Amino acid sequence: MIVAWAALAIALALVLDLGLGRFAPGATRFVDPLLLPLAAYALRRSQRSAMVVGCVSGLLQDYWTEPRLFGLNGLVKTILGWALGAFGARFDLNRVGGRFAAGASLHLVGVALDAGVRHLFGEVLVPVPAWVLIVRTVVGGLLTAGVLAIVGRVAAVRGPARVPRRRT
Amino acid sequence: MAFGQLLLIAGNAREGLVTSTARGATGVVSRPVSAVERSISGVLVGFVHLFRDLHADEAERTKLQHEVTRLSGELDRRATLDAENERLRRLLGMREDLVPRSIGASVVTLRLSDQSRVVIIDRGSSSGVRPDMAVVAWGGAVGRVVSVERDFARVRLLTDPGSGAAGVILRTGAAGMVVGRGGGPLDMVYVPKYNDVALGDRVVTSGVDGVFPRGFGVGRVSMVGEPVGASKTIHLEPEVDERSLEDVLVLLEPKGTTLLSGDEPASQP
Repeated sequence: MIVAWAALAIALALVLDLGLGRFAPGATRFVDPLLLPLAAYALRRSQRSAMVVGCVSGLLQDYWTEPRLFGLNGLVKTILGWALGAFGARFDLNRVGGRFAAGASLHLVGVALDAGVRHLFGEVLVPVPAWVLIVRTVVGGLLTAGVLAIVGRVAAVRGPARVPRRRT
Repeated sequence: MAFGQLLLIAGNAREGLVTSTARGATGVVSRPVSAVERSISGVLVGFVHLFRDLHADEAERTKLQHEVTRLSGELDRRATLDAENERLRRLLGMREDLVPRSIGASVVTLRLSDQSRVVIIDRGSSSGVRPDMAVVAWGGAVGRVVSVERDFARVRLLTDPGSGAAGVILRTGAAGMVVGRGGGPLDMVYVPKYNDVALGDRVVTSGVDGVFPRGFGVGRVSMVGEPVGASKTIHLEPEVDERSLEDVLVLLEPKGTTLLSGDEPASQP
């Protein structure tokens, strides 16, 4: 069941990602929908599940939108899942502020990791404007907080048996 | 897990079996998701078009009719010019088949991030699309095909930081290399510093890169940089608006791109 929910979350995020690329291509510069299931699993489940979700969603993203380095997004999102899972296990990030900070950090650090791995493999890099990073950070934080609030509501409606468990 | 993916990325360089298998498996898994997205997008686009059609007023229709009449006249004029053009081309001993064979494709999705700018089109190897084919749209050059699956292909846009195309300034004939800079304007590098370049000059593909045929619009000069060494860099405002790309043409063979060699006979007038 957990796998089915994870697959559904990733599929929805991928649909959103491809749809955004089709209808508002400029928006993909500011938001990465496939970071949302990663954040949800890192904060509500375990570090391990966040890494798996990050790996799968990143590889799917690579298949559809990465022309050169297949596996780049998979690697970046696996690392992000590992890092956020570790932070989520040590700090209480399940309040609005924590969720915002988690989403904002994911979107910001994701850009840096992406650039780092590209540099490692000899790709040509261009500097990302500061305003793009700021907008991306804020939008990422808001979206993550919003999505996690919805997920929390759904989990609450489904009953206390579904209260998230934490594993490290 | 991370180490495995590092190996996967490293395998890209050699297009190894593991990388291609992983890519194929990912494609098989995610294809239904893409199909769902395309269905939803199709319904949304249908609604948008329906809404737009309902609001198309009479004045717009009249305007379009006038436009059709004007374009019909323009087409007649173009037919005359084409005949004249062909005659002149024969006189110059050039090939008749300058217009390359192409197929139309629709844009499935775009990825316009700062470090990677890609378009996915709905034509793949089953339609004859191969890597390194040029992709153009109404207005000019779009990019080149970098990888192909059976039913779709990934196209790296000219604005991608890793892309490049040979360009020439139409007014003066100054040649250079057009390279992408992410979301910003294109750069044209290696332009000899003594060449005359003015703001607003149009740059087209020169054809010497073997990918783009000559003559496709690339951009207009928006800034001329200070000379560094023997060359200068100029900024170009792209002619094709990537964000509004919907339909493109994949040029199946870059005819007219190769320069005539010394032993190749030119066609007789």
